[in-house]
Amino acid sequence: MDEIDALRGMRTALTREEAPDRLAQRIDWRSARPAAEAPRRRGRLKMPLVSLATAAAVSAAAVAVVSLASDERPPGGPSSPTVLTGNALLVAATNAEKAPTGRYWHTKRVAGKVYAVGKTAADHYKVDTSREYETWVDRDGKSHSFMTDRPARPVTAEDRRRWQAAGSPDEILAPDPDGVMVSLFVKSLGPRSPMPSPPDAYSFHGLTVRQLAELPTDAKALEKTLLGLKGNWHAYSKDFSQRPVREPIRSLRGAERVRALSDVAGDLLANQPVPPGVRAAAFKMLAGLPGVTVKGQGTDPLGRTGTVVSLPLETTTPLGIYSAPKQLGTYRRQWIINPANGTLLAVQDLVATPPKGSRRLPPGDDGKPRRLTVDYQPDRFHRPGEVSSYEVYTVTEWTDTQPR
Amino acid sequence: MAPARAVSRPPGQLDDEAIVAASLEEPEAFGELFRRHSPRLHAYVQRRLGPALADDVVAETFATAFRQRARFDGRAAFGAWLWGIASKVIARHHRQESRMYRAFARTGVDPAVDGVAELASARAAATALGPHLAKALAGLKAQDRNAVLLLAWADLSYAEIAVALDLPLGTVKAKIHRARAKLRKALPEETNDG
Repeated sequence: MDEIDALRGMRTALTREEAPDRLAQRIDWRSARPAAEAPRRRGRLKMPLVSLATAAAVSAAAVAVVSLASDERPPGGPSSPTVLTGNALLVAATNAEKAPTGRYWHTKRVAGKVYAVGKTAADHYKVDTSREYETWVDRDGKSHSFMTDRPARPVTAEDRRRWQAAGSPDEILAPDPDGVMVSLFVKSLGPRSPMPSPPDAYSFHGLTVRQLAELPTDAKALEKTLLGLKGNWHAYSKDFSQRPVREPIRSLRGAERVRALSDVAGDLLANQPVPPGVRAAAFKMLAGLPGVTVKGQGTDPLGRTGTVVSLPLETTTPLGIYSAPKQLGTYRRQWIINPANGTLLAVQDLVATPPKGSRRLPPGDDGKPRRLTVDYQPDRFHRPGEVSSYEVYTVTEWTDTQPR
Repeated sequence: MAPARAVSRPPGQLDDEAIVAASLEEPEAFGELFRRHSPRLHAYVQRRLGPALADDVVAETFATAFRQRARFDGRAAFGAWLWGIASKVIARHHRQESRMYRAFARTGVDPAVDGVAELASARAAATALGPHLAKALAGLKAQDRNAVLLLAWADLSYAEIAVALDLPLGTVKAKIHRARAKLRKALPEETNDG
């Protein structure tokens, strides 16, 4: 053994790396004093280590205000209270509450879906296709929205190689659940285009902008209000003759209720013009729902690092962000959150069991019966754990900047 | 042992240098660098100074890096630059660090590991060689100790250590060579076969 190896065997108990979230909760580097300004601390031989650390913590806290008042404000603002339980959702709640407010609620979100191109599992490649939506809502409920088609792209390096082997086509044909082949375009499809604003006043499950602004900032009270929201909350019904029922979330039980509440909470966090306090309450409410678990670090579909929150939906058959009844697999939903600034980064559905079999669909316009078949499932070659569809939230902010 | 070099990133994710550049316009972006580097840096610092001081040193390191980010020129990896800042902060605790090594050498109990759960096998190995190494580490000059521990505990390359300590490569090699000779002398004869 040489001396470097011997050193490597020393203090191995201290080499364990902690998750960045845990460190971020404990280590408030944003208000730490810079090394150059630190006063010299005279070592005192008899002083136990723990007292040294406490002294350092106290002096660091004492200068926090001063360093924040300097010419450049470090990101993130003052420290959040340390949450010892390590519950990322509660940390997110604390930090969500500190977000600034403004005249306009401004969001950008990217909704994407992964399509398999090819005839067999052995010889196919996957393409990610997405659209970006940008929206401003003012406090009167007037909204402006824009949409941009983003270029489709092969998902992995291997997918890219296969796409190139196919001649690097600009236009890729892939089966869609509607039973048709859709075109996916690799080239940019031009600038964003305005989306017509809805003719009605802004509404979120029947709540006006003003009612959204006045939602409770207490988690229990918020949950109570949301339980009263009416909608068709079932993922899909086998009985097509039955008209969709509008019922309050309160009438659902178990996993269905958790799914409905988490869907609404996600929508509030990512899209809706609610004050920071309501966003904080939504995080807290989610933390209290049965089966919601924090899973550690992960990346969202744009590669941003965050904390994964798993929703208890593994056994739910069809669950899709926008095409629930047209899926034949089962899915597991994940949130990726950034506890440090209290934002929801993304919601993604991972394949739990790949699609199989077929299912009857309601008759089409021509009155003929239709079937959903596995050949037209975009995720027919997905393996469990691979992303089927996602929404990524790149901007969620109150701002005074005019819509542009 | 932590992996030595930067972790590979999913496609589309910015590299460290691009994030530093972006953080000049958008300070928030710098938080990502904390996410990426703090676990490994924290582990390194607590190995040098013990868990009680590690949080403070990591906080100071990132605070300094954030304030000086405009000075980061991107010619070297961000990691090496960050470890260089950490080395300066650690150096301010030089005497505390030496004191712990000496206590370990004298008593056979490492104050840095005190209270940290440890595998019995790791403890046995540490007890065998630890006090000898600790004694030698206590006797090293600050910069020699920095260099050799950046190699052994931070897994930096010689070139990265040169960047971190802002020294010519040849000087780094000489420092590490000198430190290794002292450590080798401190080890019991029978293990001195490499």
